[in-house]
Amino acid sequence: MSRPEGSPGQNVLRRVGEASVLILVSLADGPKHGYALIQDIKELAGVELGPGTLYGALDRLERLGLIESLPAEDRRHPYRITAPGAAALREHLDSLERVSAAGRRRLQLGGI
Amino acid sequence: MANPGASWLVGASLRCYPAEWRRRHGSEAADLAALLIHDGTPAGSIACSYLVGAARERLVPCPGRRFGAVAYALIAVCLLSISAALLAPTAPARAASTSHAHARAHCRPGAAEPLRGAIVPAGRPEALIPQPGHGRSC
Repeated sequence: MSRPEGSPGQNVLRRVGEASVLILVSLADGPKHGYALIQDIKELAGVELGPGTLYGALDRLERLGLIESLPAEDRRHPYRITAPGAAALREHLDSLERVSAAGRRRLQLGGI
Repeated sequence: MANPGASWLVGASLRCYPAEWRRRHGSEAADLAALLIHDGTPAGSIACSYLVGAARERLVPCPGRRFGAVAYALIAVCLLSISAALLAPTAPARAASTSHAHARAHCRPGAAEPLRGAIVPAGRPEALIPQPGHGRSC
């Protein structure tokens, strides 16, 4: 694995884009290769990732040390989430939950 | 890929990636495209996605990678396109403003309001919306 660009510290996922977050969520329950990732993300989020977007996000996440490529199986490289990747995803999801809860509270207060 | 046209289209878009990327992902990317086409995804949209990915791959600087001539050419094309888009809507506005030049002497003619969000933080270009006026009351 190449050296990560920077330590995947606080809120690293805020800068990597929605596709990267969806990929991490998809990899959270086990390694997957490109086609399986596209299918899984389509099913879980209703988002159809283009293959160009997918490979760009995979490379970026790998450079950040949030995922790692496993040995190829029949020309396909499965990817696996790393421990820092899992930590970053957990932190990002916690942050989203806080924002979501605040949004719901404010909607109630606003009576909308 | 059963359709040779689709195969050619995807192959051509994959050739736009840097050689290093193609060594690493090339065959897998072609297989993935074949599977997606088999599932009913149009070859054009797959090729388009790979083209955008290739442009991003060449334009976004990575540690240890130097910009190549193609990257500079792509940047030049983008800059020229943006310049043309900025100049085109302001030309008629500038012509129209000459008749009111004395009344609005303190306004700079053709000073278009900056285009909001031409480049967003995530790197996705938004649609350029020409705004001929400057938005300030003079």
